Amino acid sequence: MSIRCIRCLAVAICAALAPFAHGAGETTAAKDAGSLENRIQDLKADVIGLNRDLLVLEEELLFPANTQVAVFVSMDVGKLFALESVQVRLGDKVVGSYLYTPGEVQALHRGGVQRLYVGSLKAGKHELTAFFTGQGPHERDYKRGTTVVIEKGTEPKYVELRIRDSTGKLQPEFEVKVWQ
Amino acid sequence: MRRTLATLLYALAAALVAGAATAAPLDGTVIRDPHYGDALFHFYQDRYFTSLTGLMASQHFGRVSRHADEAEILRGGLNLSYGLHREAAQIFARLLEGNAAPPVADRAWFYLAKIRYQRGLLPEAEQAIGRVGSNLPPALEEERVLLHAQLLMARADYAGAAQVLAAVRTAGSRYMRFNLGVALIRSGDVAGGAALLDDLGRAPAADEEARGLRDRANVALGFAALQDGRPQQARGYLERVRLEGMHANKALLGFGWAAAEMQQPKLALVPWTELAGRDLGDAAVLEAHLAVPHAFGELGAFGQSLKLYEEAIAVFEREDGRLDESVTAIRAGRLIDGLLAADAGEEMGWFWKIDRLPEMPHAGHLAPVLAEHAFQEGFKNYRDLLFLERNLRRWKEGLDALRDMLENRRAAFAERLPQVRAKEAGTDVDGLAARAAELAAEIARIEAQGDAAALANTRENELAARLARVRDGIERIGDDAQAAELRERLRRVGGALAWQQNEQFAQRLWQAKKAMREVDALLPQARGRAEALAQAQRDEPGNFDGFAERIVGLDRRIDELLPKATELAGAQKAYVQELAAAALLRQKERLAEYSNQARFAVARLYDRAHLAAESRRDTQP
Repeated sequence: MSIRCIRCLAVAICAALAPFAHGAGETTAAKDAGSLENRIQDLKADVIGLNRDLLVLEEELLFPANTQVAVFVSMDVGKLFALESVQVRLGDKVVGSYLYTPGEVQALHRGGVQRLYVGSLKAGKHELTAFFTGQGPHERDYKRGTTVVIEKGTEPKYVELRIRDSTGKLQPEFEVKVWQ
Repeated sequence: MRRTLATLLYALAAALVAGAATAAPLDGTVIRDPHYGDALFHFYQDRYFTSLTGLMASQHFGRVSRHADEAEILRGGLNLSYGLHREAAQIFARLLEGNAAPPVADRAWFYLAKIRYQRGLLPEAEQAIGRVGSNLPPALEEERVLLHAQLLMARADYAGAAQVLAAVRTAGSRYMRFNLGVALIRSGDVAGGAALLDDLGRAPAADEEARGLRDRANVALGFAALQDGRPQQARGYLERVRLEGMHANKALLGFGWAAAEMQQPKLALVPWTELAGRDLGDAAVLEAHLAVPHAFGELGAFGQSLKLYEEAIAVFEREDGRLDESVTAIRAGRLIDGLLAADAGEEMGWFWKIDRLPEMPHAGHLAPVLAEHAFQEGFKNYRDLLFLERNLRRWKEGLDALRDMLENRRAAFAERLPQVRAKEAGTDVDGLAARAAELAAEIARIEAQGDAAALANTRENELAARLARVRDGIERIGDDAQAAELRERLRRVGGALAWQQNEQFAQRLWQAKKAMREVDALLPQARGRAEALAQAQRDEPGNFDGFAERIVGLDRRIDELLPKATELAGAQKAYVQELAAAALLRQKERLAEYSNQARFAVARLYDRAHLAAESRRDTQP
């Protein structure tokens, strides 16, 4: 073996015997020294903070707390129901319709709660109806509705539409929880 | 190559965002604030920016208070995934200053250790990792062990690292076992380390990531055996490496060296010839172009060796020209623009799932460049800057819409105010209250005096009026017998009416009191509404002004940040391009070195031929 080959071999051995750092191994000390990198991180932090303030302003302006109502969708287990879409009505008016992607359904399965609708309502009683479509047990098309009367006061009103499995009935159940 | 590249990039990208992924709550966590669930909904779809900013807005409104600490862990993890170490460190430090529950505190210490490690503050990182208790979720616990081992290896404490990793030897992931094997070999326990790597090198692998690591273990074993002067064993390990994997080229090179070490250059020619036919982007391939003629030389086939060295020189020169073209294309923006066209990303920090190289001359040069961590980080930052620029532009337009809406509201308020005031003037709540008090006193009197007639209904009042008229008529008739009869009838009808009213008295009194109670309940509401109206009249202009000022302030912030984003995006693009170009320029330097070696070998062969010819001439009679 030539001297050149031996030298290359040593380099290759070092490379081969490097531990697998799984992404965290490279220190960013050198990176921190770069002003460009620092300026980018500062900008990211500034824009994130600005977005927070903008979202707050938008919500206070469009949906003030005293009239705000929000409708959420969540899924508890949900093995008996493959969610495809949800439609929400307040009184006779359709205020929200949503067609779900597999990724969104997966996010609901993992414990995510979707804010499907946010709007404003006058104080008083309002009827909220939600229709769920999807596939139920034995892959049968399934459409179910649920209705609740909500009393809107001066505080924001949060309504959660929960899809859960009724293992006793082997059927999906659609519950409404009004958050206090 | 396409699949390999995609796999490598995905693995790196996944590792880079691991900081955020482990910030999620444990499975089965009951959501007690729907807005925290909303942040998770976006988080689980990798929409980190939406998740983070939405979560921060919800924290502002105080609607994730039942998940306060978990929300902070999530926010810290998301900041960390964006490389915002300072913000993330502040969040975790604040959590630890408070009275955080052990699972929260352990996660905070773990993230602090990770941040410090990433920033190169190794002693501080070790101190933080030492504070982590036994309350981490399993996924994070594995990362903790890995991080602890890395910290120990960083200060060359391989025995310590091996000890830490050995604690999870059976349950640990493949990466851990690989690291443990390496740590053992480096600490001097070659047999122990090799046994572990050998297990990995033989293990069945279900996916590309596992197969890649298995190849890597075999390459490590092979080269360790070569270094140890065991070429036969080295061949055994290297034979297990797949011919098409990421580590194939290195394995083929080592496989040939092992044969050469065993004095079998003919055997070495098989892998080296295969390797020499591969893409020149890999240093091992360049090496093979020299190794093949070297083997022919060892076999005594000097003519063939010379020919192949000369071919190698030509190949290197052509490759050098191609690299120049690639560098020019990179500097013209074709690499970055091509990558963006393939996957612009939806959000900041979006996973980079590129599965094909951009359209460029000699795109093969780019595969190793794209796999470099520095390039990926640089490109991610560039793409993030473009996202931030788009985000700021969108908000700029959004603020215009909010400003218009506010002005419309202000105009509508001014227009409706006179009507409202007129209506308000017609509604005298105090007068109504006084009337209600009078009515209450009247009801009390009726009850005290048992005045059933006072509660007569309309029909009874009409009847009573008719009876009064009839009585007057009878009085005018005089005192004859007919009048007496009429009086008697009138008395009986009047008695029936009084009896009926007395009969209804209790119920009517109850109804009157009930109505009074309703009035009493409605009066404060009416007063409250009147006061709210008056308050709104006083406050609303101020509120409008407040919103307008906030819009102006936010607009100013956008105006400050937008040019910065544009400028930084330009600078970052140039930086990333230079990063890629520099990698190719380094490849050019390697080529120049290999060319020199080939030329030196050619010269040597000519010398040898010349000397041989001279020797033949000298020996000729």
